[in-house]
Amino acid sequence: MSEDSVTIEVNGTPMQARKGQMLIEVTDANDIYVPRFCYHKKLTVAANCRMCLVEVEKAPKPLPACATPVADGMKVFTRSQLALDAQKSVMEFLLINHPLDCPICDQGGECELQDLAMGYGRDVSRYSEGKRVVKDKNIGPLVQTEMTRCIHCTRCVRFGDEIAGLRELGATGRGEHMEIGTYVEKTMTSELSGNVIDICPVGALTNKPFRYSARTWEMVQRPTIAPHDSVGSNMDLHVKGHTVKRVVPAENEAVNEVWLADRDRYSCEGLQSPDRLQAPMIKQHGEWHEVDWEVALEQVHDRLQAVIDRDGADELAGLAAPWATLEELYLFQKWLRGLGSANIDHRLRQHDFRDDDVAPAFPWLGESLVDLEHVDAALLVGAYPRKEQPLINHRLRKAALGGAAIMAVNPAAYAQNFEFAETCVVAPSQMAQTLAAVAAALVEQGAVAGDALRGLINNVSVDDQHRRLAEALRRADNATVLLGVQAQAHPEFATLRALAGEIATLTGARLGYLGESANSSGAWLAGVLPQRGPLMGTTPGPGLDARAMFEQPRRAYCLFNLEPERDCWNGREVIRALTQADCVVAFSAYDSASLREYADVILPLALYAETAGSYVNVEGRLQSFNGAVAPPGQARPGWKILRVLGNRFDLADFDYDSAEQVRAELADAITSLRPGNHHWQLPGSLPQAAAGSLERVTRMPTNSLDPLVRHAPALQQTVDVADGHAHMHPDTAARLGLAAGAHVRLQNDGGSVELPLALDDSLAPGCVLIHATHPDAIELGGWFGNLEAGGR
Amino acid sequence: MSESNESIELSAHVREQIDAWVAKYPPEQKRSAVLSALREVQHENDGYLTVALMDAVAGYLELPKIAVYEVATFYSMLETQPVARNSVSVCTNISCMLRGADDIVEHIEKKHGLKLGESSADGRIYLKKEEECLAACCGAPMMMVNHKYYENLTPEKVDEVLDALE
Amino acid sequence: MFANVHRIGKSLLLLELLKGLRLTGRNLFKRKVTVQYPEEKTPQSPRFRGLHALRRYPNGEERCIACKLCEAVCPAVAITIESEQRDDGTRRTTQYDIDLTKCIFCGFCEESCPVDSIVETRIYEYHGEERGDLLMTKERLLKIGDLAEPQIAADRAADAAYR
Repeated sequence: MSEDSVTIEVNGTPMQARKGQMLIEVTDANDIYVPRFCYHKKLTVAANCRMCLVEVEKAPKPLPACATPVADGMKVFTRSQLALDAQKSVMEFLLINHPLDCPICDQGGECELQDLAMGYGRDVSRYSEGKRVVKDKNIGPLVQTEMTRCIHCTRCVRFGDEIAGLRELGATGRGEHMEIGTYVEKTMTSELSGNVIDICPVGALTNKPFRYSARTWEMVQRPTIAPHDSVGSNMDLHVKGHTVKRVVPAENEAVNEVWLADRDRYSCEGLQSPDRLQAPMIKQHGEWHEVDWEVALEQVHDRLQAVIDRDGADELAGLAAPWATLEELYLFQKWLRGLGSANIDHRLRQHDFRDDDVAPAFPWLGESLVDLEHVDAALLVGAYPRKEQPLINHRLRKAALGGAAIMAVNPAAYAQNFEFAETCVVAPSQMAQTLAAVAAALVEQGAVAGDALRGLINNVSVDDQHRRLAEALRRADNATVLLGVQAQAHPEFATLRALAGEIATLTGARLGYLGESANSSGAWLAGVLPQRGPLMGTTPGPGLDARAMFEQPRRAYCLFNLEPERDCWNGREVIRALTQADCVVAFSAYDSASLREYADVILPLALYAETAGSYVNVEGRLQSFNGAVAPPGQARPGWKILRVLGNRFDLADFDYDSAEQVRAELADAITSLRPGNHHWQLPGSLPQAAAGSLERVTRMPTNSLDPLVRHAPALQQTVDVADGHAHMHPDTAARLGLAAGAHVRLQNDGGSVELPLALDDSLAPGCVLIHATHPDAIELGGWFGNLEAGGR
Repeated sequence: MSESNESIELSAHVREQIDAWVAKYPPEQKRSAVLSALREVQHENDGYLTVALMDAVAGYLELPKIAVYEVATFYSMLETQPVARNSVSVCTNISCMLRGADDIVEHIEKKHGLKLGESSADGRIYLKKEEECLAACCGAPMMMVNHKYYENLTPEKVDEVLDALE
Repeated sequence: MFANVHRIGKSLLLLELLKGLRLTGRNLFKRKVTVQYPEEKTPQSPRFRGLHALRRYPNGEERCIACKLCEAVCPAVAITIESEQRDDGTRRTTQYDIDLTKCIFCGFCEESCPVDSIVETRIYEYHGEERGDLLMTKERLLKIGDLAEPQIAADRAADAAYR
């Protein structure tokens, strides 16, 4: 027995415990249930519900198990008469003000208070006075409040403080007048706000879109993997009949702990969108016709074969979304490669492909998610994990609270939920310079740089902030440099990657990537790349990447599960290329006017809950799931469609009977593959900023990420959606003579748009931030670059 | 009540006062000054707080807004609704009650046409809802008017004090 | 030997027949229990479990709050309910079906209802001519409730002491 171990006796059974552990942790670990409301293993101890009172020998009164540290030789009785009486009395008090509205409460059936009232409650209340009523406030489109039901456990308040890092709920008033709420009417803005639903032990906070639509016992729980960010959160779908009613997190300490980002929780609404495609459609003489699968696939075959026969397979290009499943992506590239085309890509939002041949096997975090909690320093380059990968941000936040220095080089000082040690706010064109300056500062501080790097950094001006940043990275034993979504979309991504890599090398840090989508890593492994086959396999001649295939328009396109004009880096160019093509085959879950404009054949696709598949998350973890509901109408899982298409084109090895068979060709290799991320190519010179009045910055808003979230109504009512505004620093707006509320005309050589102005002092001066995916901004083309501005 | 978009600045005097309080606590414990800060702000704003003022305090002390609301709504000496200029609290705890505090309350209510917890129409007198023992039992019945104690009250004495208020 | 004589004697004297006629004769003058249905009907208990109905409050608002306890308790799985949040924020059914061909008239639905909405009335004379006639929808159940409300209310009142 080690020194910090003690032995206690619970209900006569001796148990080992660590010193300083609370009683309830020991009983939980030993499967002895002590009733509780306010205690939650992921939150601090409040001990304010008093439900966990237990009898401890030699203590004059019952003690709360959640706030009583163990002591050697302690004798505890959780079911003695004293303990039971205490628990029953507490229950009676808790029920005094709790309404008897279980029949209409969505928590009914999964309510901790209801369950414990069965065990500890009296059958008749002795309380005849009027009950307390609390007026409800609207706290946004995601969480429904019914605060009369609140028992003041303060779990949600502590969650805001400790996990979300954003105190939005609080306990106002006192005594009988105490209320949990926001005090002023205010929408919760945390990207993790949905978790308060799960931690609320009663029905005070419930799922708003789900409200009143089903009871807990009617639904079947089916495990799946979150389809949006690259964390790959484990979650359960609650299915009634053929609809996914709601989503709750599943516990997995190594991935999402017990939490779930709002985007993953509420996007299931998009599965039932009225825009879902129900049947295959073909365009003939400008008219759309619903047809059966046989006809549709015949058409795909005939039209693509015609293009291949006439212009060659090189005139065929395929773009797949990184949120498609591994199986779909693998078959997609297998099918296109079978047709003879190497123009295959999934990097919709990348623009700089210069160093493709030296890129790592797949860009990944470079460490496990759990490791992120233990870093001493982290440098984020063009990353906003709080909104892009909320649960990665949660790990970084834990590290920061533990004293780690989290730093960022970003085009804006994004609102964070913890303190950043340093934030360099620079225009996108200055990001490479800034990284070079950090490298130069490292060299100043004695790091030994190679010749190539020294040549690159000798003329860079270094300021104190760069030195502090370098110092923090250098001093840390366990540091990491992470390239985020904005870095990967940056027009100088190869340079950023190289400089970040050099900084990592100089400081002994790891280099990692924060993938944007559920399968950003998986798509690399599946070989949806122009330069590489599956699992780093070779492929005949590099094909055209996601940028080149639109800049050099092809005659035929196959689009898999995306809305290209919104999802791609340069929507304007994409539309131009697609409109001129002879044949566009769209595998799509959603119908849209623009799709009907350029597509020739539309094949209705099943989404994540409707198909078996796998995602590879940012740490290279392969997680598989099964379909939970049937797809709507005639929509079919992508792997099935691709398998039949493979057969239709008489391609070899396309006889798959299940998604598992497809997966089997990759799974073993993926689980064992953990490549180094230290692959980059140092450019000869640093990019020089071209003169222009304004630099465009683009950010993907959380709830606009992919077609599924964009079709989820509740998420679209939140603040984290593309707003179609031109965001500028007040000084920049003043320089241009623009006042708040004005409209600003933005133009470049390809187009011009007029957008309402929004002032945002977190932005780097000289920049205009426009949210990606907003239809009003598509005319402006690429995500980054110079713009000319004028008032109206 | 909705979220106030207008942000207001605290006056120089109040900021000075808050700084003096902040200086008494360790630098990382700025929130310790929230109670004193709210009192100063309330004093300057004719005896009550508004959401905008509380937000200003939160901004000044770098606290989440809700943390300030929590404190402001918890303490009975902080008012979060507009009240009259002069705060009158009549003790109704046991010693005062035995010595006729209830009659005093009734007298004030009748004379000024208000109920406990209400302000008089002329904006002069705010009769606080609840006041427990103010630790002046030896002079029961007593009341506190704007932080000043008046003991051994009779209806006449009460009138004298209240009529003198501005 | 003696048994045979006894048997033959009984047959010859038609004793069995007379015994039977005695019973007939006795009952000939007794009060009759047979009722001439459908002109006459037997009395019913206030707890009679006949055709279902959905009740309303006196202001016309339907009582059902879509708690689905009846659906959950129904041993024959005869009840199907779909619910939603109505525009005024209340919890309401969009569908409330009882399949009478499945129903075993056990009365559990009535017993489980927290708002006395689903009830079994005294109505038992109903029929269906085609498939679907015995699938009671929300509209039909509410209609029955509206028509039988005086009787339903009276029965609940009569039984109130035991509920």
